[in-house]
Amino acid sequence: MAVSQISVFLENRPGHLKKILDAFEAAGVNVRGYSASDTGDYGIARFILDKPDVALDVLRKRGCAATQAQVLCIRLPDKPGELARVMGIIAEAGINVLYSYSLISTIIAIHVDDTVSAEVALQHQPIELISQEELLEIL
Amino acid sequence: MIKNLQGNYFDPEIETAPREDILRIQLEKLRHQVAWAFERVPWYRERFRDLGVKPEDIRSLEDVRLLPFTDKQTLRDTYPFGLCAIPLDSVVRLHSSSGTTGKPVVIGYSRRDLDVWSDCVARMVMMAGVTPADRVQMAFGYGMFTGGFGLHYGCEKLGCMIVPAGSGNTERHLMMIGDYSTTVLIATPSYALHMCEVGESLGFDWASSSLRVGLFGGEPCTLGMRREIERRMHIICTDNYGLTEVSGPGVGGECLAARDWNHINEDHYLWEVINPVTNEPLPEGQEGELVLTPLSKEAFPVMRYRTRDLTRVTTGPCACGRTHARMSKVRARTDDMLIVRGANLFPSQVEDVLVGIQGLAPHYRIVLDNEAGMDRITVMVELLPDAFSDSFEQMDHFRQHVVDRLRQALLITPIVKLAEPGSIERTVGKSKRVEDKREKF
Repeated sequence: MAVSQISVFLENRPGHLKKILDAFEAAGVNVRGYSASDTGDYGIARFILDKPDVALDVLRKRGCAATQAQVLCIRLPDKPGELARVMGIIAEAGINVLYSYSLISTIIAIHVDDTVSAEVALQHQPIELISQEELLEIL
Repeated sequence: MIKNLQGNYFDPEIETAPREDILRIQLEKLRHQVAWAFERVPWYRERFRDLGVKPEDIRSLEDVRLLPFTDKQTLRDTYPFGLCAIPLDSVVRLHSSSGTTGKPVVIGYSRRDLDVWSDCVARMVMMAGVTPADRVQMAFGYGMFTGGFGLHYGCEKLGCMIVPAGSGNTERHLMMIGDYSTTVLIATPSYALHMCEVGESLGFDWASSSLRVGLFGGEPCTLGMRREIERRMHIICTDNYGLTEVSGPGVGGECLAARDWNHINEDHYLWEVINPVTNEPLPEGQEGELVLTPLSKEAFPVMRYRTRDLTRVTTGPCACGRTHARMSKVRARTDDMLIVRGANLFPSQVEDVLVGIQGLAPHYRIVLDNEAGMDRITVMVELLPDAFSDSFEQMDHFRQHVVDRLRQALLITPIVKLAEPGSIERTVGKSKRVEDKREKF
């Protein structure tokens, strides 16, 4: 159920993120969610995409430093307390959230230190996990 | 392997001559060269007069120390033809150095100068294992630079098939290796690495290509860089030594028996190693500045040229059978030396550390500036795609590892910045790797 996230190493300079996005566009890859964070000198841009394998191939061919990781995608009802509920389940299971960000709509991505256990913990609760296939369709 | 190399000389009689014969030839030629310059070049006559020296004072090789030094400034002061010892009608070619500041340095050649030069190059090319059956692909630029024409005529004299492609157009170079089955590549090490990268990205199969030897020059090549090119291009990389001011490449070359040492063509060059600060001669084997006096020059005689290159020289026997002295690979120049927080630092030291770290490309840039009056050194290093992980913690850990390794070697703590793969400029000529932005006082 986990989905692929593609991360790219980026120098903190104008236009570098844009070049990556242009390459995605040229390859017909749609960005469904992303996060870009930095340390001052360099950053890591993380993407949830409809076609992660195509994206990774595009980046590798460009010689970019890119890698793939597994994240859990969850659709949250758009009402107070839902984010707290999800984080509560993960905390109860003793799993650490390394980072998390939201996608389009009220879908969030969470990268944890134990993806499988987190997935099991969430599946026992009324939580809507999103699959890689569903990312193709979500509006 | 070494056994096969013995007997593989361009000019066996002189290359394996007993040392006493070499020294005798040197003294004879030195005396002739000094008289030649004194009689024909007013500039030398004046200097000799200032120093109270006459050609007949040269009675032993040690007497070379009576002569004036020359350096790049001498050649600029006498630009363009002030040191010329023959009528300009008899000069058949000009070359100039790739000097980055001020006026270029120009050197003229007589027909015999060119002949001696190509002999010297043919010797050093053969030292590197090249034979007349080889096909040599030239990726140096031609033009005023001595590297292109120097190697070209030396290889031709040896009897090689030379492919004078010149610099640039990497894809065409790759095509030529494939179509003409060239076996020897002449390039700067950084251009060879660039060819390697372009080839790899286009799916060029270096492992089964016809190339077997690299003759590199134009800029220093560290051991790490050499190993990197040898591994990726599947060739043997060799170094050679020379400089425009004393004629060009061919002063010395690396033999395959004693890698990392260049045999100096001692019948054409007299060497000295001096302390660059006191100008005093240093004992054999000690590192210092190389000073060269060409012994066979007709057009532009140069006395005791200060090369600014730091090296050490040994006259000990070599497994290849050659008897000519060997100089260690030039790792640093007296003017490359950076002084950072009062300590000496050579860019080659930084490079040595970086090539030993897995996950980094062999490209880097050093920036020096001041912060609150203190020198600050920043080293930009290029990440290899495989070294990237989706974790700031791990990336920072990696960066800190680079800092620690540099600190251990340099004894100062640099700032290390990680750069994207391919983002540090590749240069065809001398790599400009250092930027000094410090305020000058």
